[in-house]
Amino acid sequence: MNTDRFDLGGGEPIITLRDIAKSYWREELEIPVLQGIDLEIPAGAYIALMGPSGSGKTTLLNLLAGIDRPTGGSLEVCGHELNDLDDDQLAAWRNAHVGFIFQNYNLVPVLNAFENVELPLLITGAGRGERRDRVDQVLQLVNLTDQMFNYPRQLSGGQEQRVAIARAIVTDPDLLVADEPTGALDAKNAEEVLALMERLNRELGKTIVMVTHDPKAAHHARHQIHLEKGVLDRTVEVNR
Amino acid sequence: MRWLALIWKSLMRSKRRTLLIVGSLVLSVFTVAVLQSLLTTLNAVTDNPNSSNRLVVRHKSGLTQMLPRAYEAFLRQQPEIETVCALQWFGGYYQDPRNFFANFASDEATIFQTFREEFGVANLTEAQIKDYLRDGAGCIVGASLAKKNGWKVGDVVPLTGTIFPINPRLTIRLIYKSPKPSDENVLHFHYKLLEEGVPRMKGLVGSFWVRAHRPEDIPRLIERVDRHYANSAYETLTETENAFNLAFVKMLGNIGAIIQGITAAVVVAILIVTGNTMATAIRERTTEIAVFRAMGFSASRVLSLLLAEGVLLVGVGGSLGVLLANLAAGAVRGSLGAAMPFFADFAILPATVLACMTGALGIGVLATFIPAYAATRRPITDGLKAIG
Ligand SMILES: Nc1ncnc2c1ncn2[C@@H]1O[C@H](COP(=O)(O)OP(=O)(O)OP(=O)(O)O)[C@@H](O)[C@H]1O
Ligand SMILES: [Mg+2]
Repeated sequence: MNTDRFDLGGGEPIITLRDIAKSYWREELEIPVLQGIDLEIPAGAYIALMGPSGSGKTTLLNLLAGIDRPTGGSLEVCGHELNDLDDDQLAAWRNAHVGFIFQNYNLVPVLNAFENVELPLLITGAGRGERRDRVDQVLQLVNLTDQMFNYPRQLSGGQEQRVAIARAIVTDPDLLVADEPTGALDAKNAEEVLALMERLNRELGKTIVMVTHDPKAAHHARHQIHLEKGVLDRTVEVNR
Repeated sequence: MRWLALIWKSLMRSKRRTLLIVGSLVLSVFTVAVLQSLLTTLNAVTDNPNSSNRLVVRHKSGLTQMLPRAYEAFLRQQPEIETVCALQWFGGYYQDPRNFFANFASDEATIFQTFREEFGVANLTEAQIKDYLRDGAGCIVGASLAKKNGWKVGDVVPLTGTIFPINPRLTIRLIYKSPKPSDENVLHFHYKLLEEGVPRMKGLVGSFWVRAHRPEDIPRLIERVDRHYANSAYETLTETENAFNLAFVKMLGNIGAIIQGITAAVVVAILIVTGNTMATAIRERTTEIAVFRAMGFSASRVLSLLLAEGVLLVGVGGSLGVLLANLAAGAVRGSLGAAMPFFADFAILPATVLACMTGALGIGVLATFIPAYAATRRPITDGLKAIG
């Protein structure tokens, strides 16, 4: 497949996928989900991954975020060939390089906002004071300093997602992956979250790959990639 | 936030469930600790190191049958024997029938030699002993029995007989301290008082407590004494003091087997309950575990966190259970201890505490490990898809 069709602008690639394939097996039957994915994503890109339900968006996102492994091909992300890392190395790599934003926020209900954001720092070896400074900083960035002692059930959906975003960026990763981050939010809160993600991309230079169904959300990205039945279909540059 | 805070908060996710499981752990550990300690206490009765060269000679037909006191002469002739003490369970009470404790009529001339460890004779003065020997209506009492009743030397203790129709008024001549608490809940008075007060006891006694010079001589002595009185009107049964006590303990039935059976049942039940609770708790957190791992927590780190939760849970439950058992043991010593001498030694020994805590930790680790291991083996992508 020709990568020229998926020109996402210049710059050093932060993600390079070569002939990526992913299949599931049901008994003896192979069910291919992704086939022949070749893709280079430059550092600092903001990409909306689109496509019909079941086309493999989540599967692709999980592969490049290092929480799933391909059945074929190679992928280099943030300077590491992921196939070469064992499970523990991959975990350490995720901690250092990838921030996750989920549709359902996935905050830990028994921890308050501050503690939720602090979680990924617990395994970085950062000291108590350093952790507190980092958490304060990112909570300020998502504008939730006044809610930091509230528990998830005391927050609105939009606030929960902003806490989740703070948690995703607290280790200062290069790459943010988001699977339908606005899927559970109303229009106003979705808009707020999207604006925040845009800031993370523009001001902090985070590379973002966001799966979305929503054309309005996709419009916030700088590029759109379309998946169709497990194959890359087309790239659209969003003019802004 | 520290690791311990994270573990604690995770445990407190469902307070009701955590309380229930800690409650069942407390109850189980308490039950097992108390029962096992009961067993140790009973076993200690039959395993007294002081008694290794003591023998008990009694009637072959049972504890209520008497032997002629004249047998003492034959016993004394045996070169292996150091001393012989005639001893009869009196079974009296002081003031209130519920106020019951061990009391004996015994041969005052040999009692201090026969039971020198129990009476702490090394710490007694000659004058103290003489005071007792001189007063035919005198008695000696253990320090904790004296303390419980507020007795001091010189006080008069009226005993009401239950087996024998006499109510001796005894003057305390000596209060002794003993290395073992159970030996301090005892009263002895002069044998003559019983013999002269109860006509049917004339020339008779329930048992002879014999002290041999060396433990090695004991099997030979047993054989010789019983052979000597075989086919006489009063046949004897001679046995070691430990065997004698064992026979006494055996009257309580096969307590050992019952206690081990209950312990096993409790352990299995609590393992099932804990295992089931941990499995449910971990299953409910499938998504959360996947999120932790996505954030970079390795499978082994997540496993350790979950195990730490399980260990903390059983640690708290086990400690409370042991603590409660200790309080209960103290209460037993204070109440039953006076009535049944061996209960005065009732305590949760360090070995029992250790066994209970080890058992509880084992249960915690086992009950948590199986579901936790399964959860961390599960692909992260699966976990993220799970509802919950
Ligand atoms: N664990 C699995 N076992 C078998 N098949 C799977 C598994 N996970 C995903 N699939 C299949 O892979 C295909 C792609 O799934 P994926 O979740 O990537 O789709 P998607 O594009 O994210 O869809 P949606 O927009 O609905 O979220 C689907 O047909 C799905 O049934
Ligand atoms: Mg999806």
